[in-house]
Amino acid sequence: MKRLLLLLLVPATLLSQETPPAPGAPRPVVLPKPAEKTLANGLRVVVAPRRNVALVSATVMIQTGAEADPKGRDGLADVTASLLTRGAGTRTAPQLAEAIEALGGGLESDGGWDASSASVNVLATNLPAALAILADVVRRPTFAAPEVERLRKERLDDLTLALKQPGTMAAWAAQRLVYGDAPYAHPSGGTPDSVGRIRREDVVAFHRAHYVPKNAVLVLTGDVERDQAFRAAERAFGGWQGGAKPRQTAAAPPASPAPRVVVIDRAQSGQAAVGVAALGIRRVDPDYHRGSVANSVLSGYSGRLNQEIRIKRGLSYGAGSSLDVRREPGPFYASAQTKNESAAEVATLLLAELERLAAGELPADELTPRKAVLVGGYSRELETAEGLAGELASLALYGLPFGEIEKTIPAIEAVQADEVREFARKRLPRSRASLVVVGEGAKFLPALKEKFPNLEVIPEAEVDFSSPTLRKK
Amino acid sequence: MTGVLLAVFAAAVSSSPAPPARVKPRLTMPPLQARLRTLPNGLKVVSLADASSPTVSVQVYYQVGSVDDPDQRSGFAHLFEHLMFKATKNMKSEMMDRLTEDVGGFNNASTGDDVTRYYEVVPAHYLETLLWAEADRMATLQVDEAAFKSERDVVKEEFRSRVLAPPYGKLFYAMETRSFTVHPYRRPGIGSIEDLDAATLEDVRAFHRTFYRPDNATLIVVGDFDPAKLDEWVDRYFSKVPKPDLPLPRVTAVEPPREGEKRFSETGANVPLPAVLVTYLVPPVTHPDAEPLRVLEALLASGDSSRLHRTLVYEKQLASRVAAGADLRLQPGLFYAFGIAASGHGADEVEKGLLAELERMKQTPVTAQELEKAKNQLLHDLLAQRETASGKARALAEAVVFYGDADRANTDLARLQAVSAADVARVARQYLTEKNRVVIGYAQEASK
Repeated sequence: MKRLLLLLLVPATLLSQETPPAPGAPRPVVLPKPAEKTLANGLRVVVAPRRNVALVSATVMIQTGAEADPKGRDGLADVTASLLTRGAGTRTAPQLAEAIEALGGGLESDGGWDASSASVNVLATNLPAALAILADVVRRPTFAAPEVERLRKERLDDLTLALKQPGTMAAWAAQRLVYGDAPYAHPSGGTPDSVGRIRREDVVAFHRAHYVPKNAVLVLTGDVERDQAFRAAERAFGGWQGGAKPRQTAAAPPASPAPRVVVIDRAQSGQAAVGVAALGIRRVDPDYHRGSVANSVLSGYSGRLNQEIRIKRGLSYGAGSSLDVRREPGPFYASAQTKNESAAEVATLLLAELERLAAGELPADELTPRKAVLVGGYSRELETAEGLAGELASLALYGLPFGEIEKTIPAIEAVQADEVREFARKRLPRSRASLVVVGEGAKFLPALKEKFPNLEVIPEAEVDFSSPTLRKK
Repeated sequence: MTGVLLAVFAAAVSSSPAPPARVKPRLTMPPLQARLRTLPNGLKVVSLADASSPTVSVQVYYQVGSVDDPDQRSGFAHLFEHLMFKATKNMKSEMMDRLTEDVGGFNNASTGDDVTRYYEVVPAHYLETLLWAEADRMATLQVDEAAFKSERDVVKEEFRSRVLAPPYGKLFYAMETRSFTVHPYRRPGIGSIEDLDAATLEDVRAFHRTFYRPDNATLIVVGDFDPAKLDEWVDRYFSKVPKPDLPLPRVTAVEPPREGEKRFSETGANVPLPAVLVTYLVPPVTHPDAEPLRVLEALLASGDSSRLHRTLVYEKQLASRVAAGADLRLQPGLFYAFGIAASGHGADEVEKGLLAELERMKQTPVTAQELEKAKNQLLHDLLAQRETASGKARALAEAVVFYGDADRANTDLARLQAVSAADVARVARQYLTEKNRVVIGYAQEASK
């Protein structure tokens, strides 16, 4: 890989070849300056105009997500959020869909980790009408019993489909391996068993406790003027009443269980999905930017994982990793799909790169471009109304000031090679990483066992994603 | 003009049955004032200076796609697209990534049925570098055997990721093979393992020589740049790419009209719920019926209020997933409808449900309210595309490459607005007929 970078630095070796023309002077990046206001009921309203096209996006974020799912009710936060759009105020589910789609837009709601959200994205002239619908959805969902039942059925079919995808199964297994029985361990959409147990009363209680203005943030971005946005927010949400901000499910940072090597053995798997997982960091961790850069060295098209697995060896269509930062430490997950026969080789390569990040060289001509990837990606994210809304919501969720937007690019650029190495060594050590492979065991188990003699094999039919052991009882 | 039209149709949006949604008529979609040039070697250049972001989007469209895969080489155009990131006379393999990703930009490419698209976004001061690089790979691609074989393995993994690993991959694969009888569109763009294995380095050289030439390409540049500088750089780097004497081969095969319903059954491993896919042969993207077909697609399948979702997923709960779409191409393409059964239901019920909804589109014209909803959704998509330089470049590229007219990007709205309920019913009656139908059922294969 460094051979390629040398090309740019040592043009003399190119002889008769042409060299690319040098870049001109860089243009400054203009960053958005959000404004905010807290309504009398405690709702925080954030506005960041970006008037390049006549669209506006509004999101209500509730600062509670799947981490608050009660035991045995995995998926409750997500089911609750999804039901918001299935009837609210005086409208039925079909009437809501018609109303928002007539405004030239979409209405979406879902639950994630740490937060749930409902959002509209509409033609700019329709903002007041869209906010009225958004307010209905968040404040006055009907949760009609037939809708709860209908959604539960849909969810069961969705889960049936998801459980036939090797990549999804590997990712869900990885969460269990990292978190055991802690709040981030279960599939956030639930499992067939847990979704089957969710009742209307559970949903109503979850909504009453968490969907209150003191636990919410409204973010408006796009073609909207600041004061007009605040007035519209006041009209739609000023009368929202609700109780105190609920206590967050602040489980102490989970002590990750002992690492495991797990194979989920399934017949006729079109490919094997291979994943390496470990406990990562919180969003507010002082190492956040170092962690982002470390992940960028591994991930992205020219990151080390894709270099080694796809570009050098043709073993996968794509390999990459993510460092998912949350209120509590989120997971690090590196993964690739490959033909069953090469699963053991890919597993070895993923783990080797984790080790190399902690101990190997990271020359400037590799580090600088990987930081540029992050900087460029961040700038582009802020260019769309949706990307900007996502970043503002994330900062609000984790209690970070919006001034972080201006500090982010310099902070990325300041990260040094030894800091990346130290991050990998201390925060993502190979010794704490688990491995999961989902595929046709017969085609890779002998090779895999040689490298990981203590691996556990779980036949597909015996897997239970709601169990910390991953096995049915 | 667009402003006036929009005002009219935004004002026409009616309220939902519950509290009326008031709509103010103030929408505009500013026209994209593109500049066009054609170089003596035939390269078309479309540019639009736009300083709303300190970046620039560079795209090169070649009019070559899976339709041009050589005989016994299905998947070749797509494999070739991957190889365009390998060595040239002046660049080592993956140098495009050094010039884009490494400076905070990105690049990618996609192979369609009719065109292959290469696109980058970079900080604006790298524009000249990118123009040099695109010209260089147009003129001097030099893939070696090792890079060729390794990348072919990547594409085989892509085949497994798209076709073999997902539960419904083999159904979508069958969509092409079962929908066309004569036309090369019958070969799936991803190819097959056997045909990919049969490809040689000589095939690569011949394909580059034949199709990757300035008179078969369109360069699109949108972003923060000085137009005079752009012209100077385009002249410097692209003018020297020679226009070959070879003729440009074009597919002449004509898919005959369908003469009666055809039915197929496909199976796959790990298919938890049966599914059905129905296709109809429809006219090319340039045909005047393209717009009503797009509106028909939105009515049937855009959003939760669309006909298929509302009826089959919500009301009857027969299906867990539905979709429909106008897959329009330079030659006759497809209109399709698709559904995965809900548990406890069969593919036959889903098929009946889909066909009943298509029938309803023929018999009863949609209301003005429903029609305006679909148009507003399409307008939203047009606007959303224009949020970035990359999206604007794509809109211009498609206008030039598919219609030979950059101004199509600015007149899309007027054409959309002109579609009436009667037009929608007419295209439904004309194309969604039993005689013109292919039905592909899909289920779990028998256990071994």
